[in-house]
Amino acid sequence: MEDRPKPKFPAEGQVNLPTESAETGLEFTGYEISADGNYFNQFMHYDQLYRLRHGVNSRFFMELLNGRIFGTRCPRCGDSFVPPRTNCWRLDCRLQPTEWVEFPPTAKVHTWTVAGWSGRSSLKRLPLVLVYAFIGDSKVAIANELHGIEPWQAEFGMPLKVVFRNAGERVGAVTDFWFEPADGWRPPRMNAERKRIKALVEPVYAWVATMK
Amino acid sequence: MTRKVCIIGGATTPFDYGPSGWENPENGAAECVREVQEDVPEFHLRDVDLMVYSHFSVHFAHQLAGEWIVHDHLGLVGLPHFRVENGGNTGGSALYAAALAIMSGHHDVVGIVGWETMDSVSQSQGSEFIAMASDIRYELLVGGIYPIYYAAMANKWMRENRVTEEDVAAIGAKNRNNAMDNPKAQWYRTEHRHITVDDVMGSKLIAYPIKKYDCCLMSRGVAFMVVCTEEYARKVNPDGYVTIDGIGLSSCTIRAGDRPNYPAWAERYGPGYPDMTEFGACRQSADFAYRMAGIDDPLHQIDFGEIHDAFSTSEAQIYKALYLTDTDGVAQFLRDGETELTGSIPMNPGGGLMGYGHPVGATGLMSAVEAYYQLCGMIPKKHLSKRTEVPDAGCGIVNSHAGTGTSISNFILRRCA
Ligand SMILES: [Zn+2]
Repeated sequence: MEDRPKPKFPAEGQVNLPTESAETGLEFTGYEISADGNYFNQFMHYDQLYRLRHGVNSRFFMELLNGRIFGTRCPRCGDSFVPPRTNCWRLDCRLQPTEWVEFPPTAKVHTWTVAGWSGRSSLKRLPLVLVYAFIGDSKVAIANELHGIEPWQAEFGMPLKVVFRNAGERVGAVTDFWFEPADGWRPPRMNAERKRIKALVEPVYAWVATMK
Repeated sequence: MTRKVCIIGGATTPFDYGPSGWENPENGAAECVREVQEDVPEFHLRDVDLMVYSHFSVHFAHQLAGEWIVHDHLGLVGLPHFRVENGGNTGGSALYAAALAIMSGHHDVVGIVGWETMDSVSQSQGSEFIAMASDIRYELLVGGIYPIYYAAMANKWMRENRVTEEDVAAIGAKNRNNAMDNPKAQWYRTEHRHITVDDVMGSKLIAYPIKKYDCCLMSRGVAFMVVCTEEYARKVNPDGYVTIDGIGLSSCTIRAGDRPNYPAWAERYGPGYPDMTEFGACRQSADFAYRMAGIDDPLHQIDFGEIHDAFSTSEAQIYKALYLTDTDGVAQFLRDGETELTGSIPMNPGGGLMGYGHPVGATGLMSAVEAYYQLCGMIPKKHLSKRTEVPDAGCGIVNSHAGTGTSISNFILRRCA
């Protein structure tokens, strides 16, 4: 195993991190007592800042900052991957380290869904279309949101383009990009299934509008 | 020849969400042990020579190594113990570990305690915690939580298998209605009503084609069971034990998108399997368990199952992975109600994750405990009536399932001869 030079990072205070991300630590902030006086609940608050150190997959995230999709390719078998795999998945390639390659900003939908509920941080973006799509000739599909269509218009096999946030808004995470239909794609005609999806998402629009 | 592995007893607390009177895991574990002591008076905690703890996420309780509290509380200090964590298959994996311990000859009586306390945070925060079992580097926060990943997989599966929303909605109704006979079930303790396919179809969208009543419940709950040698089973509960005749555990990718071309799957089941639609780890762990238990015609040799219905869609996908039906037959299999209580292979008569609940670390054990009750004729005692009893059940399957199908175990249980 070859040694790797130890990376140096800027000193604390010079990192690219807004100050409101600071940790507040553990705190007991309150309590409640049941009406019969038999049960007691405590409230505890905990905010923690994580530093996800990426090592050899760093290139993928750095290229997101540049508005480019980088994945990997195995020099032995030629399989390519976005998301990147930094060693080949074929046991007969004996964990061959892969090489970084740029992928085209084009993709194809493998499967899709229309979400009407999600995690705390995504609620206000509902309803949203999530697709798994193959970027370029990748052997693996990547999950991301599909924008630029009505939720009921998503299709299996539809061609996509990768669209990045404006350069100043990127943070080097998969949320820096999303998919949109490829230029020239035409929305499919309404059918029974799409009417059903439309009916399912209408209350979601109404509910999200009530959120602060 | 390895030693036979037996189950001589088990119990759960009521599963619930929010104020329930069952807030405290170590006390819940103690009450479960006390229930087993009543069912099996000859069983004594003193006989246990290993404890396996089954707990998924420290994010919920915010207590690292919570098993140390439970173990100490049960008075077991000095006894060897460890915790198993394997996502939604934590319970199944703990049972697998306990079975290995007995088979190895190194331990004779193993206790398993599983629990989760998912109501300590809001539902949407809880969903986000569980989403941290996706690959946070490449999947987190692109709108995705587990039901959305499952929905994307199910959408393609249903299309390719010509299965409709109504077909799977019947599973959501079935398991909740089964739970209405089970006083420890969360559905019985909370919403408490019989529902129809129309109720499922009309419930709010989670991620197409999955609606609220196609989803399992988030829960707080504890489960306990005793796994042992046949010698010990014959000594303490000669007429009330089951044998674990087959065990299987398998794995799949963490990111569902990595499945369509995965070389290791192509080597096992040919190109194109499992894609993003089938549960390869369920099929392979079933292959392991079936081979060990001598099952070659599961639909006819297995009488019932307690399986991992995280979603009604995934229960349908599991039927196929377990070889109960195939691409050509699955839609009709569902429409014929083969897994209803009146069908040829009732599934989740105890209510499953949609009816009984899904406190992750306790879930697989709950499934095994329900299967144990069925095989030992204890359903009329544990449920409210004989309605959810599978008549003359001699063989059951227990299934536990993690991630987007990332770890799956199967167990074949038989009534003692
Ligand atoms: Zn290779």
